[in-house]
Parts: sequence; C-alpha cells; structure tokens
Amino acid sequence: MTATTIPAGIECEWIARAQQGDRQAFAELVQRYRAGVVNVVYRMCGDADLAEDAAQEAFIRVWQHLPRYQPRSSFRNWVYRIATNVALDVLRRERDATDIEIVPLVAAQSNPEAAVERSERADRVRQAVLALAPASRAVLILREYEALSYKEIAETLDIPMGTVMSRLNYARTQLRETLKGCLEGG
Amino acid sequence: MMDHVLEWLQAYHDGELPERKVRRVEEHLAYCESCCAELEALRAMSSLLQESPAAGDLMRPDRFVAQVGLRLQRRPEQTVTRRVLETGWRLVPVGLLGAWAFVQTVLIVLSGILMTQSFPATAGLFSSVVPPVSVNSLLTGLHCFAGKGLSDWLEVLSCAARWFGPLGWPIALSIVLVMGIALLYLSWLASWWVRHNRIENVPIV
Repeated sequence: MTATTIPAGIECEWIARAQQGDRQAFAELVQRYRAGVVNVVYRMCGDADLAEDAAQEAFIRVWQHLPRYQPRSSFRNWVYRIATNVALDVLRRERDATDIEIVPLVAAQSNPEAAVERSERADRVRQAVLALAPASRAVLILREYEALSYKEIAETLDIPMGTVMSRLNYARTQLRETLKGCLEGG
Repeated sequence: MMDHVLEWLQAYHDGELPERKVRRVEEHLAYCESCCAELEALRAMSSLLQESPAAGDLMRPDRFVAQVGLRLQRRPEQTVTRRVLETGWRLVPVGLLGAWAFVQTVLIVLSGILMTQSFPATAGLFSSVVPPVSVNSLLTGLHCFAGKGLSDWLEVLSCAARWFGPLGWPIALSIVLVMGIALLYLSWLASWWVRHNRIENVPIV
C-alpha cells in the first residue's frame, strides 16, 4: 500500500517543521504513512492489536530520531526501516503473539461457505508468511505488499541488492512449498 | 536452442530486469513451456499473497493519529550547555588535527635544535639563544617530577630513543604522540558511528 500522493515539496516542509518540534506537521506525516507502517508491522507480527501498538511505537521512534534524519535518503524507506525494526522487537518480546488471534478480516459475503473458505486460505497464507525467517519475511513483505523496488528494499533494510534478491527467492521458494495445496487448488 | 531463463524470471516478474534482458526473456517465453509455467507460478504466488487482507482498515486513522500524538514526549530542549557540548564534540577531529600539527611543529623545531647542537661547527651559533640541551639530563629531570607510572613510560621512551640515534627521543616521542592522537580519533569515529547507527541500522536477523 502506498502513501497518499502529495507534492514532495510539501512533505519536505512537514519533515523540516517536525524536526523543529512541530507536532501538527508530524501528525500530517503520521497520517500519510500510517497505512503503510501498520501493514508492514501487521504482516511482520501477524496480530492486529499488536500491529496497532507497534505502529504507534514506530512513529514515536520516528519522532524521537527525526532530528537526526538526513533528507538525502527517502523518508518513507527510513520510516519503514524503523517500523521493521519495531516489529522485530515486538516479535522478540511476544514470542507467542502469532498464536494469539486470528482476526476475521474478510467482509461479509452472500455465500457463507465461500467466505469461510476464503478466510481459511487467507489465514494459511498469513501463517505461511509468519513461518518465514524474519529477514526473508521483511524482504517479501516490502516487495509483495508495499511494492518497493529491490533498490528501495536494499536501502530500507540496509542490505545489498544481491541479498534482497536471494532472500526474496528463498522466501518465495519456501512459500511455494508451504502453500502448495492453495496454489494447486487455485 | 536457448538456455532457460529461470534465474531472470523473478526479476522479470518484479519488473526489475534491464530492458535488454527483458527482450531475451520474452523471446524465450514465446516457446519454452517450463519457463512459462515457472512465471505463472510466481504470478499465482503474488495473487495468493494478496488474498491475505491488510490491517490498515481496522483502526480509524484520526484515532490512530491522536493516540500517537498523546504518546509523543516533548523533545529535550537544546540548552546552551548542551549545544556547546554538541558543537565541541563535533569539533574533536579539528582539535586532534591541530594537536597533531602542533606536535609535528614542536618536534621539527626540537630536532633542528638538537641537530645543530650535535655538530661542533654550528653548536656555538645557538648557545647564546638556546642553552645546550642534554637528552639524558632532560629525562632524568622528568623522572624526578613524574610518578611511578609515568617514570616507567619515560624509561620505555628513553630505551626507544637510544634505538634511533642522535634524534632518537624526538622521533620516539613523535611516534607515541601520533599514535595517541590516532587512537583518540578512532575512538571518536567509533562513538560517532555508534551514535549515527543506533536506530537506523539495527540488524535484521
């Protein structure tokens, strides 16, 4: 999911003002990147409540470290890097979090059987993603759900492009094995 | 028969393959069923992943922003002392460079004086301005004022000095001081690196 499209100049102004301590400007940045950060954290943790807390924590860290942010790198990638690290911290703190809750996120359907089946498939996919090693999972999430380029992923996670490609390949191979049934079933 | 393009398929699927290779992949896909099947599997995997819903719609955006706002702490104000310390910390490399230049200058001057004193023809020229300096007497004097720890260091220094001949102690002292300055600079560099990467570069394991 991408952030709302606004002119880059306005975002730079928000960042500069937030660096000076302007909370209103920071609220604009939170508003802009909320969905992306929540999604990254949710995909990493697999729990909606945890994701909400972790996303808030990520923005608090962004606020704390904003004075040190250098505009030469992408702000979105910098925020995603913090979000990924927060998600990993949360996972370390709450080892059992992935088993806590399965939130039914599928909208009400006219055909309840189809809805249940879809929900089960979605859950299997979610569990398969969560079963990946965090390093590969982070790369997969940023590519598949946030549509970041290899270069942006490399910058976000501070790893070489070759590592991005090999982790992505590893993650996809693992998922193909785990989700063989879903893929064959269509 | 062209080789398979399996190693390029992932980048092709992600739209990351250079144009030149894209053409080669597409030409190959036109007749290779196994590579087509592989590409189809990648596409199916992406579609399947998208079936897992996002979490962004679970919470109201305005509530989320308000909650973040409530949890934000005031940033510590930049007091004058803090600002001075911060500036001082940033200027450490300049200070070290200045210290290095000072040490080098002093030692070059001292070496010059010692050289002139070691030749009988020139020794008289400076004797009226600079009193004759005896390295041994200087070190003995320093021993008297120094504590035990420093005394040991001076002993090491004088041993090292004997190795280098007539200009021994300026050279030995120069090496010790430059090493000290280099050590301080490396320490500063390490602390800068740690500070700079505290949040941004937490490794993902």
